[in-house]
Amino acid sequence: MELKKMIIDEREVFFEEGKTVLQVARENDIYIPSLCYHRKTGPAGRCRVCLVEVEGMRGLQTSCSLPAKEDMEVKTHTEEIIEAQKLFINLLLADGHHNCLSCEANGECELQQACYHLGIEVPAFQVDSLKEDYDDSGEMIRRDPNKCIHCGRCIDACNSVVVNEVLDFGYRGRDVKVICDNDLPMGDSQCVQCGECSQLCPVGAIIDKKSIGKGRTWELEKINTTCPYCGVGCQLTAYVDKKKNHIVKITGREVPPNDGMLCVKGRYGYEFVSHPDRLKYPMIKKDGKHVRVSWDEAIDYTAERIKTIIKRDGPDVFSAFGSGRITNESNYAIMKFTRAVIKTNNVDHCART
Amino acid sequence: MQNHIKDKIEAISARYPDKKSAIIPALDILQREKNNNLSSEDIREVAHYLGTTESRAYGVATYYTMFNVKPVGKYHLQVDTNIPGFLTGADEILKHLEKKLGIKSGQTTADELFTLTEVQDLGSCGTCPVIQVNDIYYENMTLEKTDMLIDSLRKGIMPEPDKTSYYSTECNILLKNRGKENSRSIKTYKSNGGYKTLEKALSMKPSDIIAAVKEAMLRGRGGAGFPAGLKWGFLPKNDDRPVYLICNADEGEPGTFKDRQIMEYDPHLLIEGIAISAYAIGAKKAFIYIRGEFRWIAEILEKAVKEAEDEGHLKYTDIVVHKGAGSYVCGDETALLESLEGKRGYPREKPPFPANKGLYNCPTIINNVETLATVPFIIEHGVEEFRKIGTTGNFGPKLYGVSGHVNRPGMYEFPLGTPLEKILDAAGGVKGKLKAVIVGGLSVPILRADEIKGLKMDYDSCLKAGTMLGSGGIMVINDTVSIPELTLRTIGFYAHESCGQCVPCRKGSHTIKELLKKILHKNGTEEDIELVLKLCRNIKGRTICPTGDAFSIPVEAMILKFRDEFDALVSN
Ligand SMILES: Cc1cc2nc3c(=O)[nH]c(=O)nc-3n(C[C@H](O)[C@H](O)[C@H](O)COP(=O)(O)O)c2cc1C
Ligand code: SF4
Ligand code: SF4
Ligand code: SF4
Ligand code: SF4
Ligand code: FES
Repeated sequence: MELKKMIIDEREVFFEEGKTVLQVARENDIYIPSLCYHRKTGPAGRCRVCLVEVEGMRGLQTSCSLPAKEDMEVKTHTEEIIEAQKLFINLLLADGHHNCLSCEANGECELQQACYHLGIEVPAFQVDSLKEDYDDSGEMIRRDPNKCIHCGRCIDACNSVVVNEVLDFGYRGRDVKVICDNDLPMGDSQCVQCGECSQLCPVGAIIDKKSIGKGRTWELEKINTTCPYCGVGCQLTAYVDKKKNHIVKITGREVPPNDGMLCVKGRYGYEFVSHPDRLKYPMIKKDGKHVRVSWDEAIDYTAERIKTIIKRDGPDVFSAFGSGRITNESNYAIMKFTRAVIKTNNVDHCART
Repeated sequence: MQNHIKDKIEAISARYPDKKSAIIPALDILQREKNNNLSSEDIREVAHYLGTTESRAYGVATYYTMFNVKPVGKYHLQVDTNIPGFLTGADEILKHLEKKLGIKSGQTTADELFTLTEVQDLGSCGTCPVIQVNDIYYENMTLEKTDMLIDSLRKGIMPEPDKTSYYSTECNILLKNRGKENSRSIKTYKSNGGYKTLEKALSMKPSDIIAAVKEAMLRGRGGAGFPAGLKWGFLPKNDDRPVYLICNADEGEPGTFKDRQIMEYDPHLLIEGIAISAYAIGAKKAFIYIRGEFRWIAEILEKAVKEAEDEGHLKYTDIVVHKGAGSYVCGDETALLESLEGKRGYPREKPPFPANKGLYNCPTIINNVETLATVPFIIEHGVEEFRKIGTTGNFGPKLYGVSGHVNRPGMYEFPLGTPLEKILDAAGGVKGKLKAVIVGGLSVPILRADEIKGLKMDYDSCLKAGTMLGSGGIMVINDTVSIPELTLRTIGFYAHESCGQCVPCRKGSHTIKELLKKILHKNGTEEDIELVLKLCRNIKGRTICPTGDAFSIPVEAMILKFRDEFDALVSN
């Protein structure tokens, strides 16, 4: 596609038609504070922090919803912009309860990042606001309304990305809050704990319970891998505590096939990896006890037993089960092996009902 | 859900292209069936019945103030303490009721007979103080009448409301039938030529009607003064999506009570205006979005629509009366669209504009009641006659609602550009010594007494005078009023009404309110005043919808013009 040119902060940058100013800036590593935009949920216009000044346009514009145009001239940090950004963020800080010291989002929080860039150390003013209780009813997820900035990303994620249709805004004005179904505790609602909302929350208002206190992002090694549960092959990042050799958190990677989404098992069912009972190598029962053996020995032993039994009782005593956790190709091989080598049609799959 | 309720909901939802639009009427029906209360279970049933999510339905039920998700008593008393009420003694009435009933605002008596709620703007500015009891407005209230009301309710009798209100007309266009016997019947309307103009219009080419409205320079009466003909011209050409016309009858801005005068006393004038305009823009379906509190007026409209249908005047366009459920922001055209689609009243980001992507993503024109009610005159008498009324670029008649400290608060029809002093005279003159006037509804900058000399009440003159004509809701304030107190009331309204979607408005209105409270309680500092000003400066023009402007502009003006009163509160 033909690239177009525009100017951001006196720098020429090139972009593809159809992008917003915020997207073009990000692609060019120009930071514009923004709290409610996410690629997957789209421009929401709710935080009003992503302000820019555009030559020839009156007032400031929200860059997340502003289409980039050829030869546009944009400024991202004039005094006017910074004053407004600081003020809006201070409004959020003044009427919320933020303390990064022990917050799970520390280091990954988009509000904290904006504060850092704008040099906001402590809220410039304070208004009375009551502290609310956590919603700890979800099996895997904790919701902390005190840190919610009402960006609506979780809501759009739940309704439009994973289409579980659990979340929405309830109430009005300053009383607005994110509700599950009829304003039920998350654990009593229809939520399936997929964690998409948690992944897209820009702050620490929706967090993964099992990760609380288990390590901060920069202390953990991030390992990209494929989810072992099913054949879809979702891509994920495992956050690993190297010293303990434990996974402490998993997030979905925004690449095909899952674009960040995971199911409850993929996102939260990771303890088996370091479970003491986990089978890690082949074993054969000898004298009533499982004994570790080499792969060669295990395979030879199994082949031998299959051959013997089939010879004795015929191929129809054999049956094979494929699995949703393995790939299509592996399932094909199982089928081929069963029909062509063993010569029986007794082949099935765990996902068939 | 019981079958008879289902039938009612089914019948209502059939009137909308998408049945999800029926969520507000459905919740309303259910609430009425359930002694004025809505349970979570009711809301869930409505969600399932209309095919929407439970959280969406619950979000709707908790957005609009008219849904009682928390139980209320048999009689729900709502006292409007917004500016016009505040100026005429609503606070005293509220206090009196609190004492008399032994409950605070927001509470219900132990016998579950009364719930008392302080509310914001019921659209009764000219007949304040007002107490709404369930569906009925008791206007022109006094302490004595309040006692009588409560005594009667205790006996289980809803008394007849006092309907007195002042008005006069110099133009005889918008209020021409007011005061006539049976002014709202189709017979009265037709007796002096009603619906003849529609016939004439239907014989014209739609484009000629649009051209006439354009040439007449009819400016929108909803507040912004945007030329109606120009707006109609924005509709896309050769587009096969249906076109909708929406009449904005939300009338929620403090100081504004004009549209109800047309709808209550001359509903056919509005219906004829809608029918002509809908034909001009090619809309086969039109909606009247009326604020839910005006229930009796909605019933008048429904009856009038039925009459007009029965007499064959609505063959081209079908008109649906849709009641809101308590939200000022739903007067904003895109919030109105969301609300009409059965959602929370969250304004949309513009562009796209409704003319391109409006109701159900189809081309939509939204006009105010008064705008549409003015259209028949233009078609009947011609552009030239219309342009004889008013001042250059500000043609036609205008309804001026006068409230607050005047002797005859009420509705006065004059040509645009009539001097404010003349209008105030018509309203019986100022009570006491004039201190300030808000000329166009609560969202415009206040004027000091010395700034109103010779002010002509039209769009351009008001702009030149540093304010706006807005809706033409004139609030008169005498020297007994503390401006800081007035400012707190102002922001109190917007903080209550903010939809909560964007940060500067949701948090800004609340923070300004808290700072002003602090100042009024004499705990504030000079920095607090400066912070309020800084907030106003920064919020202006930076919110999703103009509500951010609607409070930052007047609050800023009140402080800048009456700074000494604020300083006096912080200096000691
Ligand atoms: C917060 C807000 C509330 C509004 N309330 C009303 C209202 O109650 N009635 C109305 O006609 N216009 C209201 N407006 C203006 C409408 O958005 C719209 O401009 C108007 O209905 C257009 O009609 P007109 O061009 O005929 O004036 C409101 C605007 C805002 C931003
Ligand atoms: S949510 Fe962000 S800003 Fe708030 S306490 Fe956590 S890290 Fe800090
Ligand atoms: S965990 Fe999944 S289903 Fe539950 S609220 Fe979040 S996004 Fe919706
Ligand atoms: S919980 Fe998180 S994602 Fe959801 S609205 Fe609040 S801050 Fe945004
Ligand atoms: S300005 Fe206020 S009313 Fe308008 S969208 Fe924002 S929060 Fe809602
Ligand atoms: S990121 Fe643009 S308004 Fe929030």
